Amino acid sequence: MRTLLFFDQIQAGKGGKEHTDVPLSVEKGGIGSYAMFEKYFKQEGLALVATMYAGADFFEDNKQECCEKVVNLIQKVKAEVVICGPTYDYDRYTQTACHLAEYINKNSECRAIVCCAPEKNHETIEEYKDKIVMVKMPKKGGVGLNESLHHMVQIAKYVGSNHSLEALSMYLY
Amino acid sequence: MLDKLENVLGPIAEKLNNNKVLIAIRDGFLISTPLIIGASVFLLIQNFPINGYSEFMASIFGENWSTYLGAVSGATFSLLAMINVICIGYVYARELGSEGMVGGIVALVSFLILTPQSHPNFVNDAGKSFSGFAYSNLGSSGLFLGMICAIVSVLIFNKIEKKGWVIKMPAGVPPMVAMSFSALIPAFFSMTFFFLLRIGVSLTSYNFAHDMIMEVLQAPLMGLGRLPIFPVLYQFFSTLFWFFGINGPAVTNTVFSPITTVLTQENLSVFLEFGMKADLPNIYTASFSDFFGNYGGGGSTLSLVICMLFFAKSQRLKQLGRLSIVPGIFGVNEMVIFGLPVVLNPIILVPFILVPVMNISLGYIATAIGLIPRTFGISIPWTMPIFFSGWLATGSFKAAFFQIFLLILGILVYYPFFKVLDKQYLEEETKGLESETDELDDISLSDISFD
Repeated sequence: MRTLLFFDQIQAGKGGKEHTDVPLSVEKGGIGSYAMFEKYFKQEGLALVATMYAGADFFEDNKQECCEKVVNLIQKVKAEVVICGPTYDYDRYTQTACHLAEYINKNSECRAIVCCAPEKNHETIEEYKDKIVMVKMPKKGGVGLNESLHHMVQIAKYVGSNHSLEALSMYLY
Repeated sequence: MLDKLENVLGPIAEKLNNNKVLIAIRDGFLISTPLIIGASVFLLIQNFPINGYSEFMASIFGENWSTYLGAVSGATFSLLAMINVICIGYVYARELGSEGMVGGIVALVSFLILTPQSHPNFVNDAGKSFSGFAYSNLGSSGLFLGMICAIVSVLIFNKIEKKGWVIKMPAGVPPMVAMSFSALIPAFFSMTFFFLLRIGVSLTSYNFAHDMIMEVLQAPLMGLGRLPIFPVLYQFFSTLFWFFGINGPAVTNTVFSPITTVLTQENLSVFLEFGMKADLPNIYTASFSDFFGNYGGGGSTLSLVICMLFFAKSQRLKQLGRLSIVPGIFGVNEMVIFGLPVVLNPIILVPFILVPVMNISLGYIATAIGLIPRTFGISIPWTMPIFFSGWLATGSFKAAFFQIFLLILGILVYYPFFKVLDKQYLEEETKGLESETDELDDISLSDISFD
């Protein structure tokens, strides 16, 4: 299954909290945090096409343009699923990821999911949980990261192939 | 192997993280931290580690210049147990679902009920003994008793409250008035328990709970904290938890910080009394842990970042090194932890754990043999850059240079593992091994560029 990732600058290894103006970019294959869940991609048979990333401020200032570019890229590389996250408890990254995921679902055949922690994201989760697939994960530094990354990849596979998520519903918001 | 280890560590971390008593103690200490750092600034100004500084200040502000600054440390360090009783009581009450502020006050009163209030060894000219609370019972020596009082008093308060033994005011009564009435009976039970306890202890050979807890609990635990293995275990587990994405110090501090805090305060008490010439009792303190264990954040990743900055051949590591060096100097390494990443990356596991353990062990040995002085016990922000932190924590440039030595040693340990990672990334960059699909070669920044 052809998969894309969407990170913020920290997860991509392209800047710290002070670099929220990192422009939307793309790199072939997996970068940064991808190494944390690469084994699950192989295990579940997902093929990672590329990793997209952007800072929250850049995305906010160029929201529509970013979303359109991402959808163009999805169509160009024929991606079937986009994983936005893990966003942990980075609230602005979660908001960005949710907005993008909703746009992807509405404007392409590709399906997008968001993986985030409840902490600092309550309002965003309430706003989006019925619109997009949102996977539970611990906050940054929380317990159960590895397990949640596995669920994230499993759920991406199910969503991308239009499988029912009933069996995995306990891992969803 | 790593999966099995995670299966063991995960539940432990979860239990420690979710234990309300441990949360109350850990977070209670955290609430008082800004006060301690603030007071430490005054203490540093009072005892700045430069020869001739004291005389210079006296020549400008007069002989009594340091007395004014001493008032700040008297209001914080000398009352540390009292401050922490309130903070721990507050957090524990909040965790149990009671009103935090009421919990803090109940805890304080319970602690003071057990504290000596008359001092027959100190009499005035009329032969009347001094009445009041003494610093000696409210500072570091009362910390463990304070923790116990805060937890027990709030627990009693909460149990009674949950039983519904409260005075309920009719609707329309202002909330603050209603709250004070509803707290009345639970608070009375807590106070009665500590009143009876005081009488009970006075019938033993200890006379006061302070003496009892000091001998039965605090002294043995501090003996444990003085063992050289104590700081090594702390560093090992803190870093190991980080490897699995779990905030290590947040977990380990729930167990280690009560002991570390007391060891730190003990050094500080001696330092307050004797100044720069003090013969400090403990090697391991909070600032020793902060400034001789990790450079650049958990895993002592400043050494790794320097490797990336100067020796990386892959663009990815070179760029990450450039972006991470400034935050790394100030002890922030979030980008390295998640962006390199360090978390769940077996290649970097060995040096990530080894370097902090090596640092703290060598730091301990260097202090024990007198190569570098002991830390004063003052609190310096953890973001203080290397060299300055070592100097300010000990008052000696030897310690500052020792930090540089450890940093270089860390580079040597990280280097071979870093090279493996760099080689792997370089191969990916040059051969595009990660991608198996030809049409992906069309992807370029221009596809989604905004220029």
